[in-house]
Amino acid sequence: MNFGILLWVALLLPLAGCGICLLLRRPERILSFVCFVVVCTGIVDVITAGVVFSKNTIFTCGGWFYVDALSAYHLIVMALVFCLSSIYGRHYFDKEIIEGVFTVKTARRYGALWLASLATMTLVLVSNNLGIMWVGMETTTLVTAFLICIRKDKASIEGMWKYLIICSVGIAFAFMGTLFVAASTYKLHDSFSGGILWTQLRTVAGSLDSKLMRIGFIFIFVGYGTKAGLSPMHTWLPDAHSEAPSPVSAIFSGFMLNAALYCIMRYTSLIGLVPGNTNLSRDLFLVFGTLSIIVAAAFIISQHSLKRLLAYHSVEHLGIIAIGMGMGPLGIFAALFHTLNHSICKSLGFFCAGRLGKIYGSYDMRGMTGALKLSPVWGGGLLGSLFALIGIAPFALFMSEFLIVKAAISKNLIWVLVIFIAGSCVIFAAALKHSINVVYGKPPMPDFKPQRTSFADTGIVVFSLGVLLVLGLWMPDSLNEILYRAANIIEATGTVVSIVK
Amino acid sequence: MHNTAGIIMTFLVLTNFMLLGFSRLSACIRIVALQGIAIGFLPVLLNNWNFEMHLVLFSIAIIGLKGIVFPLMLNKTLRELTTQHEVEPFIGYGISLIAGMAVFLTCMWLSSRFPFPAVMSPMVIPVAFFTIMSGLFLIISRKKALTQVLGYLVMENGIYVFGTSIAAKQPLVVELGILLDVFVAVFVMDIAIFHISREFEHTDVDKLDKLKG
Repeated sequence: MNFGILLWVALLLPLAGCGICLLLRRPERILSFVCFVVVCTGIVDVITAGVVFSKNTIFTCGGWFYVDALSAYHLIVMALVFCLSSIYGRHYFDKEIIEGVFTVKTARRYGALWLASLATMTLVLVSNNLGIMWVGMETTTLVTAFLICIRKDKASIEGMWKYLIICSVGIAFAFMGTLFVAASTYKLHDSFSGGILWTQLRTVAGSLDSKLMRIGFIFIFVGYGTKAGLSPMHTWLPDAHSEAPSPVSAIFSGFMLNAALYCIMRYTSLIGLVPGNTNLSRDLFLVFGTLSIIVAAAFIISQHSLKRLLAYHSVEHLGIIAIGMGMGPLGIFAALFHTLNHSICKSLGFFCAGRLGKIYGSYDMRGMTGALKLSPVWGGGLLGSLFALIGIAPFALFMSEFLIVKAAISKNLIWVLVIFIAGSCVIFAAALKHSINVVYGKPPMPDFKPQRTSFADTGIVVFSLGVLLVLGLWMPDSLNEILYRAANIIEATGTVVSIVK
Repeated sequence: MHNTAGIIMTFLVLTNFMLLGFSRLSACIRIVALQGIAIGFLPVLLNNWNFEMHLVLFSIAIIGLKGIVFPLMLNKTLRELTTQHEVEPFIGYGISLIAGMAVFLTCMWLSSRFPFPAVMSPMVIPVAFFTIMSGLFLIISRKKALTQVLGYLVMENGIYVFGTSIAAKQPLVVELGILLDVFVAVFVMDIAIFHISREFEHTDVDKLDKLKG
């Protein structure tokens, strides 16, 4: 049976939804419709991933679409983040709809762009042609730009402009890199035809021009690294994340950064096979990763805005994932595991921050006290997600960070380990101080009554925290197998030893 | 044939220097449009005046987009803005020109050191790099949002020259996808400038400084 049709469905379903969004006449209906389409697409994504893991890789459309374990894993993460965010987004705008700020026009724009960003991110994951992958990545920048300024006030327009310019230039660099990679095939023109397909490049990686590949990989790393929010190219990230509506912040942090990193992972698996470049990706990952952790720690200490705090946490965690990527088989395994944990945890963080921000009317943590009393669900969710983010023990993020430490020790990368631990300790202390202030303490309004939360909202919080807790205590064999196979694709030179906890 | 490529490359270098030295935004838009038309001839030219169907179509698409659609779009935006000039850039025009000179020489030197596959004209690679660097320089050193968009376009032009000259021939779909992306990017930036000017009553990006820390 040909499973290629699944990929077409996953791509075209959101696009079709995009068009239908523009025809609907009520904001509530548009938001419900978005949920419906995203959940359907999510189911298709998960089925696709299931096929890949149980049978074989999907290879279709003349080799232009290709899904292997690595992209299937990311498809699952994407489906999860998008489903949660869409369900959360269904009631996020309730107040604005009543006030008449969130009009049908706004809702249509929001719904169409939301579904379009799902389609483009899917395109990034399923395309085998590295040029098309680039097209997908650049399109995510363009469609998500206007999701940031749904509100159209000064701050959000500023955040949008910075995001647009910095990421466009960054992605242009990635394009340069892609061209270099394409040029590095010039020695084998006779036997090599038809675009730059990843699968094809992988089979001939040994005879690519090593100098051009080296320059190309550096361009690609810096380019996609800009979109992934690695320091020092992260400067757009806190502005865009803090100004976007919370569901959008959640997909930014929860999946868009991962998608950019996924592109780098694809090239990592190539560059390792090119003679003379075996250590290049490791060095770049370690340098940019440690730098991200240091920068994030510096900005988290003096942060007052809750959403900016979460945004800098993203820089930190992408840094952690990057150093994991630079630490050989065990590190890559841990890094992939960390992407899942971080995505769930960070989406939850933004969900809670968004709703609490609406209750308090601002994101300034100095004024947001007593969240747990004011809204047990969102306050509790925020406490849980912040605790998980700073790496407190039973949560899954602790486990993946622990694996990274283990990988660092086994690889004898003491300087990275020292920076990682020191940065984490600083962030631990600073974020703990912030979060205790926000969660406990006395609410600023004296005559408060605890906010009611709907069943769906409670469900999102309980589900996310539950998953983080379960994965921290016990890793299912199937997930272990998935991560193991995905890591094997990135680690081209050696094989990842299965990790049994 | 070498001569024609050489003429286009020389034209690119000259227009880059003009962009670095001009302050009238409408003139800059026109120069970028001319650049777009000039590089539109490259796909046909670099394939030995090969008038294959898809090359010709691609050339027409580039010339139409970069030479006609973008300038019309940007000019329309410019008319709605309050200022028509780049006022007091971070780096003055004289210094910009000198910096451009230095960058040009560096690009010449750098590209002589890389093992690029044989290209049509020895000028192509250094000029492509110089165009990319000029675009980046415009983005960094100027204050108006519109100039940043122009810088982005110049940078794209440079990357495009680089791509057509060194990369193995790509399938048409990929190239069209890339072109479409550039189009949408400029379109989106154009709308963004409109929102900036309406909300802030200016388009000075250095005054977009509320978000920090």
